[in-house]
Amino acid sequence: MLLHGVKLGWRPWLAGLPVLLIFGPLLPGLYWALIPAVDAAVWQALWRDGQWPQALRATLISAVLGTVLACGLATLLATLHYPGRLWWTLQRRLPLLLSLPHAAFAVGLFFLLAPSGWLARALAQGLGWTSPPEWITVQDPYGLSLALALAVKESWFLLWVLASVLGEQAVSRQMAVARSMGYSRFQTWQLILWPLLLPRLVWPMVAVFAYGLSVVDMAIILGPGTPPTLAVLIWHWLTDPDPALQARGSAASLVLLLVLGGGALMLRGLWWLRQRYRPYPTGQRKPAAAWRWLKLHIPLVLTGYAVVAVLLLWSLAQSWFFPALWPQALSLQSWQQANWAPFWTTLWLGMAASLLCLPAVLIWLEWGPQRLNTLLYLPLIVPALPLVAGQYAVLLPLRLDGSAVALVWSHLLWVLPYMVMMLIGPYRAFDGRLMTCAQALGCSPWGACLRVKWPILLRPILAALAVGFAVSVAQYLPTLFVGGGRFVTVTTEAVALSAGGNRRVLAVQALLQIALPLAVFGLAALLSYWFGRHRKGLR
Amino acid sequence: MNISTLVAISLTLGISTGASANWSKIQSEAKGQTVYFNAWGGSEVTNAYIIWAAKEVKTRYGVDVRHVKVSSTAEVVKRVQTEMAAGRDSNGSVDLLWLNGEHFQNLKNGGLLFGPWAQSLPNWGLVDLNKPVRSDFSIPTEGYESPWGTAQLTFIADRAQTPKPPRSTADFLAFAKANPGRVSYPKLPDFHGTTFIKQMLMELTSNPAVLQQPVTPAAFASATKPLWSYLDQLHPMLWRDGKTFPASAAEMHRMLGDGELKLSLTFNPNEAANLIATRQLPPSAYSFGFAGGTIGNVHFVAIPVNARAKAGAQVFANFLLSAEAQIRKADISVWGDGTVLDIKQLPTTSKMRLLKTAPGALTEAVPTLPEPHASWVEALEAEWLKRYGAS
Repeated sequence: MLLHGVKLGWRPWLAGLPVLLIFGPLLPGLYWALIPAVDAAVWQALWRDGQWPQALRATLISAVLGTVLACGLATLLATLHYPGRLWWTLQRRLPLLLSLPHAAFAVGLFFLLAPSGWLARALAQGLGWTSPPEWITVQDPYGLSLALALAVKESWFLLWVLASVLGEQAVSRQMAVARSMGYSRFQTWQLILWPLLLPRLVWPMVAVFAYGLSVVDMAIILGPGTPPTLAVLIWHWLTDPDPALQARGSAASLVLLLVLGGGALMLRGLWWLRQRYRPYPTGQRKPAAAWRWLKLHIPLVLTGYAVVAVLLLWSLAQSWFFPALWPQALSLQSWQQANWAPFWTTLWLGMAASLLCLPAVLIWLEWGPQRLNTLLYLPLIVPALPLVAGQYAVLLPLRLDGSAVALVWSHLLWVLPYMVMMLIGPYRAFDGRLMTCAQALGCSPWGACLRVKWPILLRPILAALAVGFAVSVAQYLPTLFVGGGRFVTVTTEAVALSAGGNRRVLAVQALLQIALPLAVFGLAALLSYWFGRHRKGLR
Repeated sequence: MNISTLVAISLTLGISTGASANWSKIQSEAKGQTVYFNAWGGSEVTNAYIIWAAKEVKTRYGVDVRHVKVSSTAEVVKRVQTEMAAGRDSNGSVDLLWLNGEHFQNLKNGGLLFGPWAQSLPNWGLVDLNKPVRSDFSIPTEGYESPWGTAQLTFIADRAQTPKPPRSTADFLAFAKANPGRVSYPKLPDFHGTTFIKQMLMELTSNPAVLQQPVTPAAFASATKPLWSYLDQLHPMLWRDGKTFPASAAEMHRMLGDGELKLSLTFNPNEAANLIATRQLPPSAYSFGFAGGTIGNVHFVAIPVNARAKAGAQVFANFLLSAEAQIRKADISVWGDGTVLDIKQLPTTSKMRLLKTAPGALTEAVPTLPEPHASWVEALEAEWLKRYGAS
């Protein structure tokens, strides 16, 4: 640090500039978007609104239950199977499951669980039903199906976070010591590992909770309709012609922020309680519980595969009415007539967003004030709705709404933090002596990065690019709000089609939504292999 | 021939050459413009038709039309309002929008529409003025919107399950009682849902004439009283006990296909035929109307006052009114949306195309009921949401 400390001067500013461009305009935007809520009459109207108590209830149930279940699943799986063969198998499956976008996953789950879905059709074969059962398995008034979807989808994310945290910490030694002292696997985790790991997991958990609070695309597909979840209701209000309803939308998005704050505080309180009444090792060794029969990973992974399978089948189906388990005939018709415009839009948008972000992320990590990293993560833990409303409020007077530039910019707010998150670990782990060497040999700080550091970090850089691309693909709200409907991506198209209509067309768009990130992840893996083919350490 | 006739003839000629000169100016201005056509994108046949029309005006007039698919026209109204409120009175993001009824009323009353232009389109002369093309939900259009097509509320059922459909509002209740949990309608403010409620209101209210006047609180209270008591009886019989409703008519078609519902509804008497052709409904599906008639209306396109490509929008609207575009639109194998043109003026060969039918389409003659005044829509939607928006 000291070595190039003299020369740093302008570099932190350069590193800060892109970040400022992405985050700065949000401040006036948020002010404009939320100022209508500063009015007692608006809050009274919100309070009296007939839809809002139930909408809030559905949001709370789906977000809290979804988060708790996801955390439970992830921690249980780690406790039962790490380290072990099963854990590694699960790790290998994760990239595929993670690249399943939320909207596509929700569509597939709908095809599985709906009263006319695959599950009901399978039962109908045995029970002789001729019309769908009167189940309330999707779009239930309490948001339980949405909670289930969030739980499964986010447990994959948390497992992935856990895997990287476990990779960084030298956990295996502690485990070996504890086990050699006769503690069971369960006790080892409870007494030693979780207190060690949980602080690292707090932010990912808050991110999962915030996502559950403000998710719109999944909630439209799987959530209740009369009334919808609070996030969807806010979205309706914010887009209503009536200024009074728009103000109500602003007020309700503040409620989402309050709920998030409350949730985070509660988590903090629980942690404090746990620290205070921490179970002190009594020395008693409990026999290893036979929890291993609990094959939790099987339904978790199977759900992912079943979702893709049912989407594939629908995209190929001809006539396929209840209670048929299999389509009457298969054809490629839906693929031949598919609308590819959303695919291309998503492709250039994702490429522009991730490629633009990459230099910004690299110079930020190299020269940016690292103390401010927490600030960069804010978009991940703050509900997206107020942020998107803020972005739109800035673009409108600038007359940039509905332009391609503005759309790419709006995506950067989420692409950047994810890319920073992906790269920060490898960046910190980089051996600084290599840079010292390079500079001692006459490289400028810039040249040293370009010729030594970044090529060595190529693998994580490519992975970060792929993640950035996937994040851009999944964006629903900014694409709709900022794009003004002029830019149709596979995500907006899948959600629009999910409101009914042809399931074949919907399945095709959902599969395209899955294919894009998957292809980019594959490409990143291939490229990093290819670049490292002659360099042993890079492979 | 007297002098006054000569004067009249020369005047007519003068005006018409003036108009055509004006139109060619608009056409040359339109060349190279990009028209953002904001239109409901919930139907594949409609979307495919718009793609075709866009391609045609691109090659013929050099106008680039982009379909901005919206899920509700209210979003577009809001967008225009927001833009104007932010002082953006030119270069707006919407050049042409598909609308009718209360959205037209809102935009027109707010001074947010460009015009009058519709009645000076060259193809206006082909329009059948006996159809309600000059008044939209009892609001005079005055050339601020150009008619595009006609629609009529039509019900769909599956003959294999429902050989004898309900033929009136009273019948509908009895049908729901006989098939508990298998009947529903889209949640308001979806326009299919709103139309269904308006249909029920027209049949139930004692004096339907009052619905043609602007709504007043007193008129609303007395006219809608029988409607709410009817719905209170109906809802416990509906799908999921009437505590929640399908999001759209398209979702109801899907549920009808799977047998989850026994009835669906549409604004296009030919939609069932399209759905059979694309295998979204079984071949045994059929369309029907109520004996006393169902609500029918005309849908329009309009240009916001801050539109950027006003000339291009007019050229596109004029093309949509051409005999070729209207006949193609009415073709049941393309879209099957009713024409607004005077059929007598059309060439005989194209008449055959209009008479084409396909299995599933509405074959019976159903009387057309006029839409209530546009101001009733918002009042009905607000009251419905208050009563049934949260179970």
